[in-house]
Amino acid sequence: MKLNIVCFLLALLPVWLTAQEKLSKLLPPSSPASGILGLQPTTVLAPKSYQALETALFSNFNNNSGSIVPNDFALEFTPYWTQNHSLSVDEYLYPKSSIDQVIRNSSFSIASTQSFLLGDSTLSNALAFGYRTTFYFGNNKDREAVELFTSQLSMDQKVESKIVSEAEYLIENKKTANQKEFMAAIRNTIINAVYESGKYGRLKEAEEFAEDILAKSALIPPLDTAAPDPFLDSLYSLIGQKLSTEIVFNQFKTYVLERYGFSLDVAYAGVLNFPANKFESSYIVRQSFWVTPTYRFKDKLGFLKVMGVIRYEWYNTGYYNSYFNGVKTYENNLDYGLSVAGEFMKFSLSIELVGRKSHSELPAGNDAEGNALYRKEQNTDFQYIASFNYNLTDQVVLSYSLGNRFEPVLNPHNTLVSLLMLNIGFGSPAKKDIDWEQ
Amino acid sequence: MMHKIYRYRNLSFKVPDETEVLLMVEFISDGNLGHTAINVPGSGDSEIENSGSVNIGIGSNLRGDKTTVSTEVANLIPQEDEIRVAYRLNGQLIKEHVNLKSEADKVKIILYIKFPEP
Repeated sequence: MKLNIVCFLLALLPVWLTAQEKLSKLLPPSSPASGILGLQPTTVLAPKSYQALETALFSNFNNNSGSIVPNDFALEFTPYWTQNHSLSVDEYLYPKSSIDQVIRNSSFSIASTQSFLLGDSTLSNALAFGYRTTFYFGNNKDREAVELFTSQLSMDQKVESKIVSEAEYLIENKKTANQKEFMAAIRNTIINAVYESGKYGRLKEAEEFAEDILAKSALIPPLDTAAPDPFLDSLYSLIGQKLSTEIVFNQFKTYVLERYGFSLDVAYAGVLNFPANKFESSYIVRQSFWVTPTYRFKDKLGFLKVMGVIRYEWYNTGYYNSYFNGVKTYENNLDYGLSVAGEFMKFSLSIELVGRKSHSELPAGNDAEGNALYRKEQNTDFQYIASFNYNLTDQVVLSYSLGNRFEPVLNPHNTLVSLLMLNIGFGSPAKKDIDWEQ
Repeated sequence: MMHKIYRYRNLSFKVPDETEVLLMVEFISDGNLGHTAINVPGSGDSEIENSGSVNIGIGSNLRGDKTTVSTEVANLIPQEDEIRVAYRLNGQLIKEHVNLKSEADKVKIILYIKFPEP
């Protein structure tokens, strides 16, 4: 019964979210908090999506109950983008200082699980908290691309606003009696606006532009001076198509989403465990610090993203000695590796290969003068995981990961990863959230 | 994404004959790129690139015909959910336009303003 209810809710979820008409596409879950808690198996933290708030539900098909009810969740929140700051496009793309980048890209994450296994196989609660930010390193080619898009779009907007303002003035103030008079009156405005914008080098080309619009205006709904909006809207649409404004806009928008070049993600996360399931009895059991450099290629290789990772992970060996009796853990762990991701329309595929070097310093008695002696224990490990992600809608991503992970603290031979994840975005309000009467 | 046109009719701003009128366009939401053209009665049409303000003339020159203000706005950044633009005359808010980007992320905003005597 429980399974049926969950299946029904999961089936409804994409429909509900589609109805809300959300915006930018959500990415697979990758918050630092869910990473350190082990809810997601990959070591490489992919760059964050553009949602101000997102949450992820995790379900492991390997559990014994056969249920797919997720009892693990993660939530990531980017406070900067919950308010307006009147940032121009230039200010957005090129922040004046590194501090601006840190503030704008700072996100905070929490994740929780009720299934944190202790050494004696009892379940306990664990809470993870994380932080990350991103630095983007622009280059000259990026600047050139942005300047070109900006000048093209600005030029078209200037032409359109001048024509629209004049056309609305003529109609609203009843300066022309019919469509013929109106088109004759607006013709010079079209020529001047197009020519002065510099879009065309010669006056003759601007005149040809106007003549083409005049000819095509015969094919749109005729001007009714009592209800002129349908005619005017169609006329503006003709002008927009002729200027190719929509194409330039869409290209610019896509470029902003997928700027090529180098970026650097820096993240931190820690795990708080409650072994007795009491709030006053808690331990920070593990902490991680990630540095993730990412490079996105341009043009034909634009679908390809290469990410590196360096992660330092610190284990609280005192805690592990108390609650994981007889289990071997290393205090210091350094992970290093690479992930290659390809994005193809609604799905993406990524493969990561990460190596691990671990070491601990253990007490080894005292020397003849009573000084403490330590011996160093070392280990190496390797992880390879492939992940497949599919955007059910722009706001719901289904991810499946398969591979071999680092040896876990408990059951070190159980390294198989087979994990299904669902990520849900809550970044934008829906239409009903705005009071249109204001 | 849709391109939409929003028209705001019947706007009015009382102004004495000799008082200069300053029109201010303010892009409140993040990541907008835009251009505004203003057609006033007679000569003296003006333009504003992105956010900014311009003197559109004194009260006596703005009588009679309605002044039309046309703004083209495109929002380019994925973190922003809405397009929000404020129009002020001599510092006084005359209209605040807002639309969700899920409805349109490239819009035309057209205002028709009368300038009667106080």
